[in-house]
Amino acid sequence: MGYSPNIATCLILASQTGIKKMFTHLHVASGYSFKYGTASAADLVERASRYEMKTLALTDRDGMAGAIRFVQECESHGITPILGVNLSFIQKKYRITLLAQAGSLPALYRLLSEVNRDSANEKVLTFQTLEKNSLYSSQLLAMHGPDSYLASAIASRRTEEALSIFASARDLFADQSLEIVSHRAKGDGPFSTGHAAKLLTFARSHDIPAVLTNAVRMLDRADGPVADVLDSARLLVPLHQRHVERTNSEAFLKSSSDMSALSDEISRAAGESNGRALLRTTSAWAERAHLSPRRDVGIGSIHLPEPEVLGAKRHEELGAQLRGRSEAGLHRYSGALSVAASQRLEEELATIRTLGYESYFLAVADIADIARSKGIRVAARGSGAGSLICYLLGISGVEPMSQGLLMERFCSPLRNELPDIDIDVESARRLEIYDAIFERFGPERTATVAMVETYRARHAIRDVGAALGISPMEIDLIAKSLPHIRARNISKALENLPELKDLKLNTPLMKTAIHLAARLDGLPRHLSMHPCAVLLSDAKLLDIAPTEVNASGYTMVQFDKDDVEAIGLLKLDVLGVRMQSAISYSLQEIERIEGVKVDIDAIPLDDPPTFDLIKSTRTLGLFQIESPGQRELVGKFAPQTFTDLIIDISLFRPGPVKSDMITPFINTRHGFRSKPVIHPDLDEILRETEGVVVFHEQVIRIISVMTGISLAEADEKRRALGTFESQQEVCDWFYPASISQGYELSLVTTVWEILRAFASFGFCKAHAAAFALPTYQSAWLKSHHTAAFLAGVLTHDPGMYPRRVILDEARQWGIDIAPIDINLSDRYYRVEKVAEGERAPYKAPNTASTGVKLSLPDARGYAIRIGLGDLHGTSEKEIDSILLHRPYIDLADFVYRSGASSPTTKALLLIGAFDSLYKEQNLNRRDLLMHFHDLEKFSHVKSGKSGKSGKSGSSQLALQLLPSTLEPSGLPDLTPSERIRHEVDVTGMDISHHMMQFYGQFLNSIGAIRSSDLIHQRSGSEVLVAGVKVALQTPPVRSGRRVMFLTLDDGYGCNDITFFEDAQGDHANLLYHSWLFLVRGVVRKTGPRGISLRAISAWELSDSYNQWRSLSEMKAGELA
Amino acid sequence: MFEEPASVPNPTPVRVLAPEGEPIEFIYRGARFHIHNILSRWQESGGWWNRISDGHLHDSAHLEQSIFNDAGRAIWRVEAAPVGALATFEIELDELTGKWVIRPTSRPA
Repeated sequence: MGYSPNIATCLILASQTGIKKMFTHLHVASGYSFKYGTASAADLVERASRYEMKTLALTDRDGMAGAIRFVQECESHGITPILGVNLSFIQKKYRITLLAQAGSLPALYRLLSEVNRDSANEKVLTFQTLEKNSLYSSQLLAMHGPDSYLASAIASRRTEEALSIFASARDLFADQSLEIVSHRAKGDGPFSTGHAAKLLTFARSHDIPAVLTNAVRMLDRADGPVADVLDSARLLVPLHQRHVERTNSEAFLKSSSDMSALSDEISRAAGESNGRALLRTTSAWAERAHLSPRRDVGIGSIHLPEPEVLGAKRHEELGAQLRGRSEAGLHRYSGALSVAASQRLEEELATIRTLGYESYFLAVADIADIARSKGIRVAARGSGAGSLICYLLGISGVEPMSQGLLMERFCSPLRNELPDIDIDVESARRLEIYDAIFERFGPERTATVAMVETYRARHAIRDVGAALGISPMEIDLIAKSLPHIRARNISKALENLPELKDLKLNTPLMKTAIHLAARLDGLPRHLSMHPCAVLLSDAKLLDIAPTEVNASGYTMVQFDKDDVEAIGLLKLDVLGVRMQSAISYSLQEIERIEGVKVDIDAIPLDDPPTFDLIKSTRTLGLFQIESPGQRELVGKFAPQTFTDLIIDISLFRPGPVKSDMITPFINTRHGFRSKPVIHPDLDEILRETEGVVVFHEQVIRIISVMTGISLAEADEKRRALGTFESQQEVCDWFYPASISQGYELSLVTTVWEILRAFASFGFCKAHAAAFALPTYQSAWLKSHHTAAFLAGVLTHDPGMYPRRVILDEARQWGIDIAPIDINLSDRYYRVEKVAEGERAPYKAPNTASTGVKLSLPDARGYAIRIGLGDLHGTSEKEIDSILLHRPYIDLADFVYRSGASSPTTKALLLIGAFDSLYKEQNLNRRDLLMHFHDLEKFSHVKSGKSGKSGKSGSSQLALQLLPSTLEPSGLPDLTPSERIRHEVDVTGMDISHHMMQFYGQFLNSIGAIRSSDLIHQRSGSEVLVAGVKVALQTPPVRSGRRVMFLTLDDGYGCNDITFFEDAQGDHANLLYHSWLFLVRGVVRKTGPRGISLRAISAWELSDSYNQWRSLSEMKAGELA
Repeated sequence: MFEEPASVPNPTPVRVLAPEGEPIEFIYRGARFHIHNILSRWQESGGWWNRISDGHLHDSAHLEQSIFNDAGRAIWRVEAAPVGALATFEIELDELTGKWVIRPTSRPA
């Protein structure tokens, strides 16, 4: 321009921009407006901060799940938060935005909770709800936007109606405004400038406040396609011009100058000279809604049950109560340990007093007591097991002192987070505990916690596929093939999955779908209930969090576990553990059959047969140590003590496995390597783990010993080791601190290297110890009460293996499998005493390296009766009815009285449930099948759907019409393989014998090795094995190269086979889609009883069998 | 000089003078049209999914531009005339490429 402004002009310009008012967006939907908003709260705040805005609102649709995260983001960006919610008002299609004023956030939460409670209204705010809750609503600001009922009345010139709505809502809100929005939509409908101007004119002429917003749902213009996909997923319609709500991309977070231009445009269209007045009212309105993150939202506060709830008058009394109850548990200690325990108790009490957490510990102890009084098994999990008080109060069953578990790892005054006690309860009775907690502490203090489900690969590709109209079958195939990964990694995953090569992923449509799915990555999709968290708060809970009633009928706060921690709500995780149910069931069966009451929580922890069973690697059905990887590890490790079990569980995690911490440990344990001696001061700490750092507790102690700081301080240092930046700070402190304690520089360097290398892989020993207890208990039960234990496992299905594998496991210990019998089977799996069977139980081979004979269970003389509960396609009601009308004298009797449907009856018949009734009449199942068809033909009471027990006249008539005696038809009975096929069809299990038996001759002739004989093969030799697929795992590996672990069951145990990348290419598809396999692989021995196979190739077993058969037939033909 | 709208089936590229963002003049069929009045203006976008089957998608690097170019189009409905009677035009700015076109909906006033 050839013109440069002088200094004075510059100053004027600067001061003008300085005083320029920043716009405040009062209507902003984030991704927490499920399937509507496209931006994360963090991104919105960050953008507002970049625009130098001082204030920002979050007004998500129908809920406030993003509120805490948003406020935290605002706080860290120095932005003042405003909170509100956008709801349906009067009718589903009309909306209103409500804002909290300073100090009135509880009113907003409570009103929202009330709207959510009223499920009949489908989350629509009605005048009725408002009038009922005017105490709350009268503290809130209401904005009627372009999609409000009010706006629609104004636009269609129903002025009287508009004014009357406005008047009747006047007393129900603190204040109301018309929300002026223009997205510059075409025409003069809502979101056009014309419509906005009409509302503004109305507001001016009736003296109603007007505020400008942009009804934001996106961060950028470019997010439009994502919004479209979300609309399509929300409304369940494919993308089409007709369905899409969005006509343009203007609903994004615009800058102050963009909003100012918009204000001018609308105001001028409404006949004003510029938009300044509208901006002014907007900013005045915003100021009324400023919130303080601390004072209003309650970030950083704490809420615990009040003393009265726990039977104390004042807070001080709680301390005395906690002391009294803890001291009552001290009798478990004696001698020197008792002195140490008393001293430790004092220290822990002091810590809890400092933190003021007495009521939390007492509340959890109450809950554990309530559970036990109901006969529900309960066990602490996690770092809480490190607290002596948790042990003394009966919350945890692990004795912490002898295991070196630390309170400091769980809870210390230095820790900047709330302690988190988790308890494991019987899964089948978990909700009873929930109910007990709600009853004990009252609905005003208790709620479940939300969990935000975000878009990951599978859901993303499904929703995008549906939006783009891709065929459901094609999408289903891709979705099912995708591992559980982040959506943004889809295209990489698809490249790496050989089994997807056949899909045409290169078409424009598929490429678009994959690209869009990646853009949905991480967006909230749905609010569900956290699977185990229950809040224990004071009676202010409903003032500090909005709630809804979830699908299972529990009150749930709309905040997730991080949010509730941020506002000081303590939660208790109540985890349903199937193994606890299985253990409980086993104990009942033992009592029923043997008449013995076993106190599983009092068994000695050094039982040799229990450890022999673990060492044999026959750990199927046990807690934590049944997986192929764990079986290999216990084979290598050969745990001898309870502490070993804790170490085993700690070692079997991705960190230690990847960094190969296991090898040095195992080598030292078995004497292949001498124990590293670092310094005598550290010997005691590292003795149990052969000089290798495995536990967090060890890291804490090492730091404390080397530098002389307290354990609580040392835990802070340990936690700092976890991140790269703070690690350097710890290093800078550790060297001088330990040298000043008199340690040599070289030693300090050695120790630092160990800390640095292993700190991030270490595991909390208390956590592992809490897991080791049920592991040990399950092993003890399997070893001493094999049949009862496996019946428990079959009934509650706690592990990773299908039931048929557990069934075969039972067979291998000499247990008879009793088939389903219409008069004998219960709903569940029951133990029966029988005459000793012929089959000898499994004997562990005495390997050359150990020479030790393991003492393993012999469960002959017991049978497990299959229950009715696992019949495919049979309802609970049918089973109830069948059990109620027992006994049955014959098939006809069953058909008429049991209430079972025709398919159920036929299924029962095919698997032999009626065989025992007809044994003497020499009738086979095919005869019975014909008989059943006759019965059906004669009977009008088919399919049992009438629900009656069939005593109507017509069935009586049918009975009379039937021939009085049944005679064998002469048809051949079902063949053994037909029987097995029916068993698998109906129950998923091969009951009469193992399905591999059919291939016995073939496998013998080709020299396949039984899994139980594999241990005798030389390392490095090539063998053939076969079996039924039990598990196929593809754990993520750091290198990105996929490794597939296949477990085959061959009737003699399990073969664990590894497919590395070179062996996968041709076989991945086969591995996924087939069931029976023949595999060639190389044997690798890893320890006394550790063995694995590296696959070379694999075949579908029946293919190989058919080839073999036609070949032998050919040979036979040639010979002839 | 002005033809029936039916014979303008596709948007026609046009040179527009818009020094401050708002169009003032444009050159159409060799004549300079002066904009007398802006009747309305609006934003449009969407319909990106209709472009998926266009087939020019072999290079996934350009996927973002070719399909998700949804930044929007700004449209001004204006009254403009070279000489004589005013006519109504819809001129459109593709905000990503900066290209102007005259929309086929343009018609004499």
